[in-house]
Amino acid sequence: MKSLTPRVIKSRAEARTYSLWAINYFSACGFMELLPWVGSGYDMERFGILAVSSPRHADVLIVSGYVTKKAVKRIKMIYDQMPSPKYVLALGSCPMTGGMYWDSYSTVKQIDNYIPVDMWILGCPPKPENIGHGIVMAMNAIKGGFEGH
Amino acid sequence: MDNEIVSVLKAKFPESIHSSVSEDKRILLSVKKEGFYQILSQFKDMGFDHCSDVTCVDYINEGEFELIYHLWSHSKKIRVIVKTRIPREAPRIKSIVDLWIGAQIHEREGHEMFGVEFEGNPNLTPLFLEDWEELPPFRKDFDIREYVKREYYGEDKGYFGSK
Repeated sequence: MKSLTPRVIKSRAEARTYSLWAINYFSACGFMELLPWVGSGYDMERFGILAVSSPRHADVLIVSGYVTKKAVKRIKMIYDQMPSPKYVLALGSCPMTGGMYWDSYSTVKQIDNYIPVDMWILGCPPKPENIGHGIVMAMNAIKGGFEGH
Repeated sequence: MDNEIVSVLKAKFPESIHSSVSEDKRILLSVKKEGFYQILSQFKDMGFDHCSDVTCVDYINEGEFELIYHLWSHSKKIRVIVKTRIPREAPRIKSIVDLWIGAQIHEREGHEMFGVEFEGNPNLTPLFLEDWEELPPFRKDFDIREYVKREYYGEDKGYFGSK
């Protein structure tokens, strides 16, 4: 890494920023609010974000909605299969605190006890504008050289 | 006023039926545990060809589980609800899989969530819960708050304690 010139590092970060391929783990209402971004309304492909179906092609894992105890095992498996650098976006209040399932026996309250999360997007569920704001903030961080966890 | 289906059943099983409510398109029967299977098979013979649900209620103060069977007849367009009670300490009941195969998955769920033993059901392995070592979670004596506190909000579990 030290042999790379700053210019190469910068252009590499830029290349990463504009080709974020995302894999979704959609479990709940958060994904309903992500759908306008997939469709032509907000159109995430103009930012270079593509929905892929294999974790091995993915740079970003989007966890949308509550995560059950069973699902968190699968999310960990997906996360482990993604190549570095990898980023995790968590949508909505459920992955943060449990949300309205704060006293449910079957849902996990905080997914960052299990996988590192790089961007929390607020809302119950988050509006598409919030998601866009979060994605652009994440893209700016990646452009600035953030390599994920 | 009973409709004719209820009067036939009452004539045939006078001891088993506690109480009944019958309307034009709806019948509700509360029956004894001993006679419930005969009554259900009688319904099957009468043309009630669909078992839509088997559910359970935990009456912890009375020490009983109540099992509720929902039946439907496509030809008669009548809904039937049959209720029966079993003791909480020994929750055993005969399975109705040989009458309606569709009841299998409902009985499997009832076994997992309430711990009711359906005798004769071929497959009662856990379906929804993974690595579950506590009481069945839908029982009233399963303390959800205590479990959630211990499992998710413990001292080593992130912001709510110290990670």
